[in-house]
Amino acid sequence: MKALGYLLLTTLKNRVLSIRKKPAYLILYGCIVAGIIAMIIISALSDEEVQTVKSYGDIRILYAILTGISILFLFSFVSTGLSTGSTLFSMADVGLLFVAPISSRKILLYGLIKQMATTFLSAVFILYQVGTIKNSFGLGVGTIFNLFFIYAIIIFFCQLLSIGIYIFSSGRPERKRLVKLIFYGLFAVTALAVYLQYIRNGGTILEAVLNLMNYKPFHFMPVMGWAVMFISASVEGNVLYVVIALLLFFLSSIVIISLFTSGDADYYEDVLNSTEVAYNKLQDVKDGKKVTVIKKVKIKEEQTGLQGGKGYSAIFYKHLLEKKRTGRFVFLDTYSILAAGSAGFACYLINSEFSVYIVLGILVYIQFFITILGKLSEELTKPYIYMIPEKSIKKVIAASMTTLIKPCFDAIIIFTFVCIFSKTSPLLNLFLALAYASSGAIFVSYTLLCQRIFGGQPNKFISAMLGLTLFMAVMAPGIGTSIAAILLLPKAFTFLGTLPFTFCCIVMTIFVFAVCGDLLDKAEYTGK
Amino acid sequence: MIEVKNVTKKYGKFLANDSLDFTVRPGEISILVGPNGAGKSTIIKSIAGLLRFQGEILICGKKNKSLEAKRNLGYIPEIPALYDMLTIWEHVEFIARAYSLENWKDRAENLFRRFELEDKKNKLGNELSKGMQQKISICCGLLPNPKVLLFDEPLVGLDPHAIKELKTMLVEYKQEGTAILLSTHMLDSVSEFWDSTNIMVNGKIAASRSREEIIGTGEDLEKLFFEITESNKNAAEEVKS
Repeated sequence: MKALGYLLLTTLKNRVLSIRKKPAYLILYGCIVAGIIAMIIISALSDEEVQTVKSYGDIRILYAILTGISILFLFSFVSTGLSTGSTLFSMADVGLLFVAPISSRKILLYGLIKQMATTFLSAVFILYQVGTIKNSFGLGVGTIFNLFFIYAIIIFFCQLLSIGIYIFSSGRPERKRLVKLIFYGLFAVTALAVYLQYIRNGGTILEAVLNLMNYKPFHFMPVMGWAVMFISASVEGNVLYVVIALLLFFLSSIVIISLFTSGDADYYEDVLNSTEVAYNKLQDVKDGKKVTVIKKVKIKEEQTGLQGGKGYSAIFYKHLLEKKRTGRFVFLDTYSILAAGSAGFACYLINSEFSVYIVLGILVYIQFFITILGKLSEELTKPYIYMIPEKSIKKVIAASMTTLIKPCFDAIIIFTFVCIFSKTSPLLNLFLALAYASSGAIFVSYTLLCQRIFGGQPNKFISAMLGLTLFMAVMAPGIGTSIAAILLLPKAFTFLGTLPFTFCCIVMTIFVFAVCGDLLDKAEYTGK
Repeated sequence: MIEVKNVTKKYGKFLANDSLDFTVRPGEISILVGPNGAGKSTIIKSIAGLLRFQGEILICGKKNKSLEAKRNLGYIPEIPALYDMLTIWEHVEFIARAYSLENWKDRAENLFRRFELEDKKNKLGNELSKGMQQKISICCGLLPNPKVLLFDEPLVGLDPHAIKELKTMLVEYKQEGTAILLSTHMLDSVSEFWDSTNIMVNGKIAASRSREEIIGTGEDLEKLFFEITESNKNAAEEVKS
């Protein structure tokens, strides 16, 4: 254990000391700590001042948010557990510790301590919400600390669960099915419980969800229920239920840990793959590459081959094939469905004549982040596109084509949903769809511009600043004229409101492609 | 034919290649040797048209970034770069289509047979070991049958059979008149087929020899390599102290 203690302490010491060499980080960390302290002090001082007069929001909303977060983490970590698994270790641990004459249980303990510290650090952002949570729900600083604590426990437990699931089900399809059954069952029971509340108490579905938060049997539902039990008990000052909730988390963790330490269970092999996957993802992030979850793809003889393309167009056909491999519907993926569903739901909820424009704005904002990591950026990380004996502009267009087409398909499905739920005219939604598709094109041209100006390794900070400036420069005239058009046009013609924006995007895209089309002759290949 | 004329490449203030001049003629295998960080990969990437540089590089008499030069150029990178979602056969199909090659299938089959890849045609790029990926990378580089071949550390990660096969192929390409430039650390493994060598240190060519010169003077390539690199290291240490 001496070696492990040394490793933990030395790593911590070196990490702290390394901050000295990075003044920017030192300032950043200082600001974070000072911000949290200031937030807590201000909140504590204002404790008595306002509490008596102010009316607070329904505390069940906070419980519902906590439930939502728990479901999100559960779903995410269970999915990871069923595919690659999570890990408590780094590649250095695998190379140096796993082969050392140290008990595997001690190494596991080391991994758990390390992970717990990381998890608690990552949950610090909750403390930044002290003011908001206090003002919204009237909670004391102590309860908010409990919220931070339970949030960290949820993440840590879900990570542990993910490892447990991986060890339990790796390479065993029948066990994978069982795990899926249990988790879908858990979510189904939750949905059923909401429905029962709806039947019993009437009101809206939202009210049924809130009622469920006070329903005692729900508090015994794994993870989400335990978390709500903990926080509601700490709000009510019910120590017994606080202890029960913590015990439920603790005992379940013991069960999972015993799964990889009991008998002749050997967790090394199982975590090895997960650690390699995590390491590769980290490397990709460090190299500024797009992090993709590589699915296991079965190749059927009749589904192979590019099916077309000669010269530069072979790049487009290759991208089509790659898209077919990653998704059944080529241009429509989970994002298309989620975006369409959420946009429709948002329009239904907001129920205002401007809801469609708000939805368009949010979708365009999200689209920026999706598009700049498109196929062109990916292609530039390999030497082939530079080597193909074709003109740069043709290769750039071919490599951007799938990224240009996808927003068009997304736009059709998203604004069909928006049209149905917002009950706005199909003509208006057609123009909104055009605006969305054209904004996709402008973001592709932004990628091109960045690569052309900064070469293969655009500095992330400069790139982000340029992106923001470009975003403003390109979008402002379009948005400005579009807002003016929407406000000034006679009601019968407001559907044309987004047309200036669309026009602006298309003109700017053509201009950037014309000016930066020689990218492959000028930029350097760095493999990143 | 490769003509490198007064090529300088800088990364910021760091001088990776300093006024390099050399030529690789058709039917010649030229090796670039030197310690890590000597600038071997940089000049190979510059010749391949992947980096910006000062000076001039001609491939078969054409500027290296021209389409004519690219048609005659094959590049096998040090680290294989494959597409995760393409099978290994689709990689060669992609190259064949991108280079507009005719009757390429027999050549591809032959390359696959020689590198023992026939039974792995439907494997995806991300399912292969590093060595296997290197074999595909070589197949992609060789498929267009280029007149100039650039190899950056091609033997790293290959199994003994593939090393033997690649060596045989290099000699075959040489006999067909291909100009081959190859960087390596493994002097032993290229000793039987090189025609000329450039020993690089700190971005410069510290010595150039042809096989005839070495045979004529009775010099030993390995000995020469260590003499140059070690003396450079000692000189650097003296400057430091």
